[in-house]
Amino acid sequence: VASQCRLLQSSSGRPSAPQLPQLPDEPISLQDAPAGLFQLPPGDPFPERVTVAWLSVLALAFALVCDPQENLSLAEITLRRLAPRLLASLRLLGPGADVLLRPETADILLDRLLPHGQMLFLNERFLQAVDREM
Amino acid sequence: RLDGKFVELLQTVLCSPKCPEQIQVLCAAILREMSPCNDLILSCDEIQDTKLLSLVSSVLLAQENKKAEVSAVGQRIVKVLERRLPEGQSARYLLPVLSNVISLSPESLTEEQTNVVSKKMADWLRYASIQQGVAQPSGGFFSSPRTRQPGPVTEVDGAIATDFFTVLSVGQYYTQDQWLNVQAFSMLRNWLLCYGGKGLKTPNSDDKSGMDRSVMSMVSTTSTSSRLLPPKDRLREKAFEYCQRLIEQSNRRPLKKDDGDLQKACLIEAVTIMDIICKQDSSYVYRAVSFLKILHGRICGDATYARALVPIAQFFLNHSKMASVDSDAIYKHLFTDIPAQLFHNPSLAFEFVQFCKDNSQLFTETSSIFRQSFPNLFKFLAWNSPPLISEFVDLLPFLLDAGTAIEIFHLLLDLPCLTAALDIQLRSTALPTSEKAASDPAVKPATCLEAFRHPLCKTMFQYLLRTKSAPEDAPERLIPLRQLLGSVASNPRVMQCAETVPVLLELFFRVVAEFADGPLINQLVVLLLQRSDQLYEIPAFKDDVYRVLSSQLVMLCKLHPALIVELSKEILEFSGTVSNIQNKEAIFTHMVWAIGEYMSVSYDKRCTVEQINRFFETLEAMLFEITQLRPLASTPSYAPRAISVLMATLTKLAARSQDLIPRVSMFLSKMRTFVQSPAVTSVYCEEDLEEILIRATELMNLLKMPSVAQFVFTPPVGVASTRFQREVNDSLPFALRIVTRLLEPAPGFIPG
Repeated sequence: VASQCRLLQSSSGRPSAPQLPQLPDEPISLQDAPAGLFQLPPGDPFPERVTVAWLSVLALAFALVCDPQENLSLAEITLRRLAPRLLASLRLLGPGADVLLRPETADILLDRLLPHGQMLFLNERFLQAVDREM
Repeated sequence: RLDGKFVELLQTVLCSPKCPEQIQVLCAAILREMSPCNDLILSCDEIQDTKLLSLVSSVLLAQENKKAEVSAVGQRIVKVLERRLPEGQSARYLLPVLSNVISLSPESLTEEQTNVVSKKMADWLRYASIQQGVAQPSGGFFSSPRTRQPGPVTEVDGAIATDFFTVLSVGQYYTQDQWLNVQAFSMLRNWLLCYGGKGLKTPNSDDKSGMDRSVMSMVSTTSTSSRLLPPKDRLREKAFEYCQRLIEQSNRRPLKKDDGDLQKACLIEAVTIMDIICKQDSSYVYRAVSFLKILHGRICGDATYARALVPIAQFFLNHSKMASVDSDAIYKHLFTDIPAQLFHNPSLAFEFVQFCKDNSQLFTETSSIFRQSFPNLFKFLAWNSPPLISEFVDLLPFLLDAGTAIEIFHLLLDLPCLTAALDIQLRSTALPTSEKAASDPAVKPATCLEAFRHPLCKTMFQYLLRTKSAPEDAPERLIPLRQLLGSVASNPRVMQCAETVPVLLELFFRVVAEFADGPLINQLVVLLLQRSDQLYEIPAFKDDVYRVLSSQLVMLCKLHPALIVELSKEILEFSGTVSNIQNKEAIFTHMVWAIGEYMSVSYDKRCTVEQINRFFETLEAMLFEITQLRPLASTPSYAPRAISVLMATLTKLAARSQDLIPRVSMFLSKMRTFVQSPAVTSVYCEEDLEEILIRATELMNLLKMPSVAQFVFTPPVGVASTRFQREVNDSLPFALRIVTRLLEPAPGFIPG
């Protein structure tokens, strides 16, 4: 994912991001966040052929690995919902992020938005209901 | 490996009733990470709490199914779903587990069990409440009657819903059955792929047996009392209606922008599920076809819905024959308009190319719209090179045949130009209309943008940006355009595209080698030599392309050695141009090697002594030119291997036309002077000069034994390939060294 992201960034002529960005106070907008899709052939590293949807936010990248017959539009939507919530609850971009000390936070989030790896067709209101439950 | 006692502890904590959720999640996560775990005593049989059951299942499903855990989980889930759940428990946590189970091992459920679930799913999809839920206070019981009655659910645009509940229904709070509706739809595709066809299927297999059931099913779908239908058929009916409703709902303008994204995802899912249903029961085809044609008409002009056009096209590809429907307009729009307008959308580009790969047999028909549109397809690659290069490596062989080879050859070499042109096209359309006035034909364009609208350059751009194959058009007209685009050559996207070209070129030749006949090979060689002058000016790009072209040139000569004789005019011209030694050294060197190797009567009876002599003279003049010692002017340096290969080829030709031997010998003897002259030693490095001298000496020695030379250099064709014939660089030195040693035996050397 890292190389895809770098290549996409460089192709659009954007300057490469600074090493340690300041965490902005406003919610990070994902509108222009670089994102993409690519395929991995069987055997490397997954036994079957998979498609990877990825999203990059500042210095971080998120990847969602899908089976060939899964809905890629939904995968992109799911990523765009997971990323800000993970960023916020784990404070991933802040200094001294203690991500490794709080694995259950990520797990609970994933369990709600991607239970057992199942992508969900949630409209905005449903999403609010999910957020309320957490 | 974790201590057994610790594992036991984890399991106990996980299942203890008062444990906070976070701890439970953590325990489950640790146990999953340690899978497969032999000390696991967890079982899902006794667990009543659905949330806990979900967590425990996640651990069990991670165990690599050594003890049929998958089946056990599946059985338990179905059992729980069958019965009425206790108060406060929700089935919604179990559906994702079920989806996982059937993906891992569809055989875990019996037909009876799948019928039970199918029946429930049909109900969840079709009969969820259309009243909004109430807020659940933390106590878990309903609050006082002062709470307002919840209203009906609405559509995404705010209108009150008048039809059944779907994932696109909006409310402030949701009921349990509405949750189940969402979950059921989210796993519907997987479920239908697994169990919707005749008998048990794995998610990846196609079901073509739906045809057989058409007679029977045509009766059942018109039945008013659908409860009489077998569960599978009933689910199909409800699922079909659900998809129809979703498609209608996607027509509404959402109040929240993000709901628009979901609408599109739902649309794609709905069309795909309809496609699956029609494959499993062809009686649905007639209903679906008319519906989807209307949908296509509605969205084909809207760029934001472009991704949905792909599954629609797939549907028609699968079913239009059965419905005797003409869907050519759909394919035409998809392949002509979409790539030209939306090449810059990376997700669409990816899915479009996948679609092409999935339907690769379409490209084999010469006259089809799919085949004709390949120039359009390459726009996706030109713009989105890194993610799509591996996809195009898979796709290219299907686009290539004798009819398209030449055009694709040119296209590949001009791929970075295409990127540049697309960039200019995008920038041009983004300009405000005031700046878009057509430029004055008399004035030469100053920038690329101006050139884009300039009348003289327009046709060049149009050719490059064409949507259809145009084999008769001459690509030479692009020469001025390539120069014009020079200013964009350092654009990062252009450079990324340039990196994909060598890979594709190698693949191109590998595929072409399988079917090309003599005339096509000749054509390719001529074009190869021509195009070496007409490449887009990106430095690393040119070197890489030369490298590939030169090795492929050799390959073509191997396939069709007679081309040296048949194309002698073009080859003489190329190898007689001194500047080629500098500018296109790789191609030159390999060309000269090929001449030495294949210019022989054993490869082509038409090879005459005159021809050999003519080639000899040309190459001799070249070698003379580059080894000339100019006392006053500075000595330009040429690639040492060019010198070596020229010497070797001249020797080989002399071996076949033995009158030439004295000339070569004399020339070779002069190499010592060349190598030792101060002007030369200052420009070439010592090892190279030494190599040249050694090579010259070996060749001279070989010529002292003309019959041996003749054998070495002109073995009969058809003889099993000996070592002397195999490698360009290896065999000749080997042969020469043997011969040299025979002539000047070193002490202690035993010939053998």
